[in-house]
Amino acid sequence: MTLLQLKSLSKTFNDCCALSNIDFTVSEGEIIGLVGPNGAGKTTLFNLICGRHRPSSGNILFNGIDITDLKPHSICRLGISRTFQSSRPFPQMSTLKNVLVGHIFSKGFSLHTTPDDVQIAKELLEIVGIAHKADIPAGQLTLSEQRRLDLARALATRPKLLLLDEVAAGFSPVLVKQAIQLINRVRERGVTLLIIDHFLNLSLKVSDRLLALDHGEKIAEGPPHTVMRNRDVLQAYLGLRHQDEEDM
Amino acid sequence: MIFFTQKINPSEIKVYRVGLVLGFFVLIVLPLMVQSNDYILQVFTHALLLASLALAWNFLGVSGSISLGHAAFFGVGAYTSALLSLDQALSPWFTIPVAGLLATGLGLIMGLICLRLRGAYFALATLAFVEVPRVITDNWDALTRGSLGLVGISGLPTLRLGDWYVDFGSSITASYYLVFVYSFALLGLVAFVFRSNMGLAFQAIREEEIAAEAVGIQTNRYRLFCLLISAFFTGISGACYAHLVRYIEPSLVYGLHFSAIPMIFAVCGGRFTILGPALAAIVLYPVDQFIFHPLLPAGHEFLYGAILVLAVLFIPDGFLGRRQNA
Repeated sequence: MTLLQLKSLSKTFNDCCALSNIDFTVSEGEIIGLVGPNGAGKTTLFNLICGRHRPSSGNILFNGIDITDLKPHSICRLGISRTFQSSRPFPQMSTLKNVLVGHIFSKGFSLHTTPDDVQIAKELLEIVGIAHKADIPAGQLTLSEQRRLDLARALATRPKLLLLDEVAAGFSPVLVKQAIQLINRVRERGVTLLIIDHFLNLSLKVSDRLLALDHGEKIAEGPPHTVMRNRDVLQAYLGLRHQDEEDM
Repeated sequence: MIFFTQKINPSEIKVYRVGLVLGFFVLIVLPLMVQSNDYILQVFTHALLLASLALAWNFLGVSGSISLGHAAFFGVGAYTSALLSLDQALSPWFTIPVAGLLATGLGLIMGLICLRLRGAYFALATLAFVEVPRVITDNWDALTRGSLGLVGISGLPTLRLGDWYVDFGSSITASYYLVFVYSFALLGLVAFVFRSNMGLAFQAIREEEIAAEAVGIQTNRYRLFCLLISAFFTGISGACYAHLVRYIEPSLVYGLHFSAIPMIFAVCGGRFTILGPALAAIVLYPVDQFIFHPLLPAGHEFLYGAILVLAVLFIPDGFLGRRQNA
């Protein structure tokens, strides 16, 4: 079943075209890797889906609902959540409260936190593996712990679709392995995932399909290994080969 | 940040709590202790009123916005209640809440214009915003009597319950208790709201607004809500001030004094705490009046400037800042 549908989506910033005519469909339960070199428009695409920026033209449908003009908080409540490229914890709040915030406000308003809310937040910290840091202000966590916290907070909003922006960038091979396990655990919870992965250290291993962008345009989509052999994708990442130039 | 992360000694908390309870009882019995001295009681009445002002200011401050324009609400509150009771002979029981509502209306206008700004830009916009009601009040002679100000404003009203009555206007002790009850009621409201999930939303918004919005918090609505509540109570405090002092003029009630002083108290006491702003007002104002005023009649207010600078340099989270989550 189709969960997310992008229809000829474009975004320009001051006459500078960040994304042009992106058509793409995500089905329920899929893991999609969003790949492309710096400045390809990956994060811009996330910002459009989450409502942080409004597209210049085109539409975004989520579960059949047009969310193109909705605000970030409404989109979150419909079931799309995200993590940030550089994580954005609430630095002076305890780690546990960070997750609580995600849980409490995504379901509308309740005046007081219940023990159930706290229990759920604790379980999420358990899942991402930072339960032992629950009472520490989030600003004091290490970079990789903050990314985990970002993920836990995003999961706390009970998303159907989760957008992960560079979760594994700068991770050591060991941490990447842990991240892969984590992503598989998230998938088991029935969450559809869209993963930005500039360095390709994650998406090749977990994605069902890849969407490759370059200079704001879609250059390829399909199974990871087909996309990675695609000539345009190779060009975008590695530049033109001498022989190719002669062919042209 | 530094202060927050320090471990707080349990015995220290005990001393702190005992101190608070003791201070509270001293405030309750103060009129009995200083029976013969109206001046002391007047100073403490004023200190409690300033405490309410600081609490109201902090209601906005806690969502991350620093206002330098609360004199707008204070002045509008003071003028609304004073004019309605002077010209329409209405009871202050009625005009004081109306003053609060009018200030809230002004808050809505300020919010729609200024809340799209953040940080220093918001602060500067509010600083400029005060000029609007001030210039109107100053020049609309037919309604407000312009820069002459208003004299002979009725005192605080009388409360009647059958045969029993309290005249808050004529007795300094009674007006002290009225302001006392008002300030502590506001403190109770602040404590309730800040400790509820709303307080969590305010903290999320001030610490990382983009993330707050992304997890489903309606950030604009919360920020406006804070401003409106803050404006309402600042208006009420302004109205109380008018009936307490019984004389107002534009340069006084719209002056920088009433914009800056709640901020100074809130910053010194602890911007993100419940009690800090009120505590700072109740301690610092009498210190200023009893100690610095006799020493330096003309320049005693330098105390506030000096304290603000010292607080920002050495305890940026305020006296009570380190206890913010305790």
